[in-house]
Amino acid sequence: MAGFILRRVLLLLPMLLGASLVIFLMLRLGPSDPAMDYLRLSKVPPTPQALEDARMMLGLDRPIVTQYLDWLGKAVRLDFGVSYATQRPVLPDLLHFLPATLQLAGVALALTIGLSVPLGIWAARYRERWPDQMVRLVAFIGVSMPNFWLGFLLVLLFSVHLGWLPPMGRGGLAHLVMPAVAVSLMSLAINARLLRASMLEVAGQPHVRYARLRGLPERRVERAHVLRNAWLPVITAMGMHIGEMIGGTLIIESIFGWPGVGRYAVSAILNRDYPVIQCFTLVMVAIFMLCNLVVDIVYALADPRIRLSAEGVE
Amino acid sequence: MFKLLRAAALALPLGLSLSLSPAVMPAAPAVAGPALDFSWPVNVGPLNPHLYSPNQMFAQAMVYEPLVRYRADGTVVPWLAASWEVSDDGRVYTFALREDVSFSNGEPFDAAAAKANFDAVLANRPRHAWLELANQIVSAEVAGPHLLRLTLKDAYYPVLQELALPRPFRFVAPSQFIEGGTKDGIAAPIGTGPWMLTETLLGERDTFARNEAYWGDRPAYQAITVKVIPDPNTRAIAFETGEIDLIYGTDGPISPDTFERFRAMGERAGLTAALSEPLETHALAINTNRGATRDLAVRRAINQAVDKDTMIATVLYGTRRRADTLFAPNVPYADIGLEPYPYDLDEARRLLEDAGWTASTEGGIREKDGERLSVELCFVGTDAVAKSMAEIVQADLRRVGIEVLLTGEEESSVYARQRDGRFGMIFNRTWGAPYDPHAFVSSMRVPSHADYQAQLGLADKAEIDAMIGKVLVTTDEAARQALYRDLLTRLHDQAVYLPLTYVTAVAVARKEVGEVPFGAMSSEIPFDRLTPAAD
Repeated sequence: MAGFILRRVLLLLPMLLGASLVIFLMLRLGPSDPAMDYLRLSKVPPTPQALEDARMMLGLDRPIVTQYLDWLGKAVRLDFGVSYATQRPVLPDLLHFLPATLQLAGVALALTIGLSVPLGIWAARYRERWPDQMVRLVAFIGVSMPNFWLGFLLVLLFSVHLGWLPPMGRGGLAHLVMPAVAVSLMSLAINARLLRASMLEVAGQPHVRYARLRGLPERRVERAHVLRNAWLPVITAMGMHIGEMIGGTLIIESIFGWPGVGRYAVSAILNRDYPVIQCFTLVMVAIFMLCNLVVDIVYALADPRIRLSAEGVE
Repeated sequence: MFKLLRAAALALPLGLSLSLSPAVMPAAPAVAGPALDFSWPVNVGPLNPHLYSPNQMFAQAMVYEPLVRYRADGTVVPWLAASWEVSDDGRVYTFALREDVSFSNGEPFDAAAAKANFDAVLANRPRHAWLELANQIVSAEVAGPHLLRLTLKDAYYPVLQELALPRPFRFVAPSQFIEGGTKDGIAAPIGTGPWMLTETLLGERDTFARNEAYWGDRPAYQAITVKVIPDPNTRAIAFETGEIDLIYGTDGPISPDTFERFRAMGERAGLTAALSEPLETHALAINTNRGATRDLAVRRAINQAVDKDTMIATVLYGTRRRADTLFAPNVPYADIGLEPYPYDLDEARRLLEDAGWTASTEGGIREKDGERLSVELCFVGTDAVAKSMAEIVQADLRRVGIEVLLTGEEESSVYARQRDGRFGMIFNRTWGAPYDPHAFVSSMRVPSHADYQAQLGLADKAEIDAMIGKVLVTTDEAARQALYRDLLTRLHDQAVYLPLTYVTAVAVARKEVGEVPFGAMSSEIPFDRLTPAAD
């Protein structure tokens, strides 16, 4: 197991390196001129002299390979440069905003797991009866509705019309409710349906029928024989949902005035604030990879077949 | 296993929310007296009075004050300078500073402090080169404890207008300089103004408190909280739910349709919604040096074929006014009775016919000598309002047989086109008071401006540039007016611009805020003149 984890951790390094190259090139090969963007954001009139100075200062006059290596060299020392728009160092600001985003994503994840599992079990237990139909309806709405639109609808109902919840900002639990629901609804819907399908599939298998024949109580069959085996696809999906949630906070944070890294990034993207976009994307890639790693490890713990094949035991 | 997972799933977010709860979340300072909640897309920045982005102009203008102030009628009135004298050659200005002014930390504001600030600005002269006054000032000297003398290169007339700007010629306490200057930052934003910045929470808010020792009329409000809200829709909701009390700005703080909705709700819902007088002009610069628009007849036809009233009523929900000339008549020297090009499709068609632009089929695109009457209109693709306006221009011109190709691009690409003239028509904005008209016409001589590129095809471009050079240093008021008249008339007759709308500031406030006055410059928000309505 330790070997399995170590191998996966080591694999992260080349993957991050590759990601950094792609991020860097994609921004540099775009149609936009970073020197012009820099001047525009600093509110300096783009005279030819100012443009040339900016190119020199940003190192844009050098070959792209040199630029990349220079950026990479600083990045491994955690120096991601200074934002064009705010003239502040990027990484400290990003880290300042990150906790708010992790809090939001964390609560959204808790909501997803806390609601999708009971809903999935409930739907499977009462298959094709009204609880199942209801879960299906919720799932249908959740999957079809873009989270930003849901965000606005929630604000309209609970803040504007009813006045129950604060529409924006970060503060107590009340501030968390709407953004967390908006971020999690889609994952929640997918997860509930996934768990239902998986449970129904397992329920038809011989070992479950045998357990019932043995006269075990229905609840025990469900928990020990169905759910334990139905769990695996949900774990895989969870890995993706964590990413989705952190990605989902991008727009949701802007709507709810949530002072997180997503709102910081959206502003940077609109401004074409290169240093911020590069740092944000790389940090997000790292978080995705770590989440996937954790999911793989959990998966291996949950399913001996995977663990053993990874360790070369047939 | 399942239990373990379940426990982990529950513990993870709980742990996060406990351990990562915000590091700084102090309670708002205790406020005696009314407080106002406002919003802005970003934090106000470190508030260095002598630098630009990320310092927000409206906030710089709250904390720092100028020697003189610009009024809405175009006049300049004494402020930190009680009076001034100008030498006969127009090159030396001597300002008598008020003697009762001190910075908010108690330091006196005197000629020495003022000189130190001018020196700090001029030590960074290239950074301010866009503003002619920065190039014009030769020296700032102390001529007495409260006498400041400025010496200029030429008799540059808009000295006072440019001294009134929110930046860079305003004053921070010299004790806050870093390494003898301000170009590398300041220790703390200590000004003489009616407000003091008391707290900044990154990404959340900035708080200003009233300067209790302010030399002038103290504001009625005790504190202003500026919440960071980048999204216009979120701002509108924040207003509706009472999170903020005031929406104010020129750069689309809320969308035109939202403004219209608030205006319709009006008194009934306990709010006021108002538009300012024209502040800037939103126009299309038409390229006289490229393609079909080299032909004056085409430029004039364009001016007669766009239905601006419908554009304003539909896309802009009546939130702006129709512009018929490059500068609104309330701009100094611009009220010269230019005859607007009326909206007249038949006349536009006749102009084109007479100039030899004909269509082979009824309603088709016109041609002349094999050249198709096609004009490229460039705009920033993410600017929804500009896009809708461009589409209306496209549809309107199509009706007289002109094809408009819409090119929506990234901001920096559009800037690049302005610089090198790769456009048929391009969106352009004048700079507003107090830059209009002098600083705006001054920039028409700079090749990296769309105006320069658009005018390049005019036979008298060299003459126009010479005229601009002259108008800026003429000390004779009548001669100056005559030069402006000549200059603006030429540009109007040559139809170099398609003026579309006059941009106004919008103000939406709760009834308790009382009437909201508008600032003379689009970059200042008159918080100090707000008085809560009596219940």
